[in-house]
Amino acid sequence: MAAPAFDRRRVNGPEESFPPVFEEDREVKKISKRTDRENGDFRPVFLQPGLITQANGSAYIETSKTKISCAIYGPHQSKNAAYSENGRLNVEVKYAPYSCHRRKAPIRDAEDRTIGVAIHQALLSSVRLELLPKSTIDIFIIIIESDGLEASIAAGSIAASTALADAGIELFGLVTSCSAFNEAQALMDDNDLWIDPTLEEAQAAKGTLILSTMPALETVTSVWQNGRMQPADVLKCMELCQQRCVQMHAIVARSLVDNNQVEPSE
Amino acid sequence: MASASTSNSGSNEQTPEAIALKAAVFQRLHPRVYLERFVAEGIRPDGRQISAWRDVSVNVGSISTADGSALVRIGDTTVVCGVKAELAEPELDAPTRGFLVPNLDLPAICSPKFKPGPPTEEAQVFSDRLHEALTSTGTISLEDLCIQPGKAAWVLFVDATCINYDGNVFDATLLAMIAALKNVTLPKATFDEDTGRTVCTRKESAPLNLKCLPISFTFGIFDGKHIFPDPTFFEEPLLDTAVSVVLKEDGTISSVSQVGADAVEQDALSRCIVEAKARHQLLLSKTIYP
Repeated sequence: MAAPAFDRRRVNGPEESFPPVFEEDREVKKISKRTDRENGDFRPVFLQPGLITQANGSAYIETSKTKISCAIYGPHQSKNAAYSENGRLNVEVKYAPYSCHRRKAPIRDAEDRTIGVAIHQALLSSVRLELLPKSTIDIFIIIIESDGLEASIAAGSIAASTALADAGIELFGLVTSCSAFNEAQALMDDNDLWIDPTLEEAQAAKGTLILSTMPALETVTSVWQNGRMQPADVLKCMELCQQRCVQMHAIVARSLVDNNQVEPSE
Repeated sequence: MASASTSNSGSNEQTPEAIALKAAVFQRLHPRVYLERFVAEGIRPDGRQISAWRDVSVNVGSISTADGSALVRIGDTTVVCGVKAELAEPELDAPTRGFLVPNLDLPAICSPKFKPGPPTEEAQVFSDRLHEALTSTGTISLEDLCIQPGKAAWVLFVDATCINYDGNVFDATLLAMIAALKNVTLPKATFDEDTGRTVCTRKESAPLNLKCLPISFTFGIFDGKHIFPDPTFFEEPLLDTAVSVVLKEDGTISSVSQVGADAVEQDALSRCIVEAKARHQLLLSKTIYP
């Protein structure tokens, strides 16, 4: 690993440091079958809009080990940008240094941007940007704990869409997102398709797919497929994800309604 | 348009929403006068008594990827802290000492005041003061982090992230860092002379030996005479002076810092210290660290 650049704006540690090596990890890791949920189920979701007081809208999502906080600032005037008829979405994703098994040095790397682009794609067609000329909506996302890229993108998209709704920004519909994967050899004998991979499962999978939809309009906003997957499996994955997205939509809608009913009594 | 409709309806028939809007506009345009009117009534804008503190809650160990973690809330201010332990070679001039690397991140998510990018000046100052508070009190003996003199030692990266900025981030972060450090368990590490590598085992692990648990108490002085404990985001820019008192767990003072000195009454500093000690007693009696 290249030594991280010395940054005098932070308290610095030694020039080089390495994550500890464990005796136990020398044996090849075996991935156990799921015991806490069915193959076709996503992890339990906790979603709370409006925790960040100064943001125009915000949401916190927790799906067992994935913990993501999202805030919306704006819409505000686009600065240093050419005139544009439509508003812009600016998605910035940041990993907390302690969010992964290996410490993330506080520099933006490729992974942050990958997630940012994926979430941007998932949300873009849901926001009524034609109503916001010359404006920018900032979507800031912090991954407090990560359990795989797929889960982060899916949960991040849901949190961002919830936060947009919480901010009162006009949307065509709420975006929900779900991931699926196929054939992790170590895991299964049958060619099953599974929903919502954890980090270990995603690493063992041959191919993964993330589907983002607006269930209220029955439209797909983004499909992101990686790795090897038969075309027939892709379609089957999409169908499975679509069903889960509809369930997720009910959860998101419920959390927004609950959040708005509490407020007047305060 | 809004003002036309309110003037038509007359001052007696204003809806609560219209009054709230007027107050918000007044707060935005004349923050100082807004605050003065509250102080004249003996109350703070968030409904506290002048000398009251906000509720503190500490939650530990919720982040499984960190070796120790804590979430601290002071009112609406929320700080998450995670400790990651890594291995490194000790410095040549200190072969028996490990490393403690505390940093605070104030990301764009926590307040419109911050933009994405490198650490702001505020974050740099906070990180430095936190480093000072942790090292000067001797919270951790760096010798305890040594695995093999001159060969291997632990590096504790103590990274705090502010999720919601509503003032008094320093107190919240110090509390979060201490709570996270208290939550750390380090695996047993052994240095293999033959291979020159350090190997750890999950079978045995031990908590850190914390020698001191410093707690910080921050006050703002408004208008030269009013002492506001635990200032909020709205109050902070209006304060003439900010005083931070860091106390060790036996109540002795570790450090006092005062920023901005104009128009401070002679005894303000000692009053802050007395109030900090009283609050310290109260926090200790409630066992804030779970």
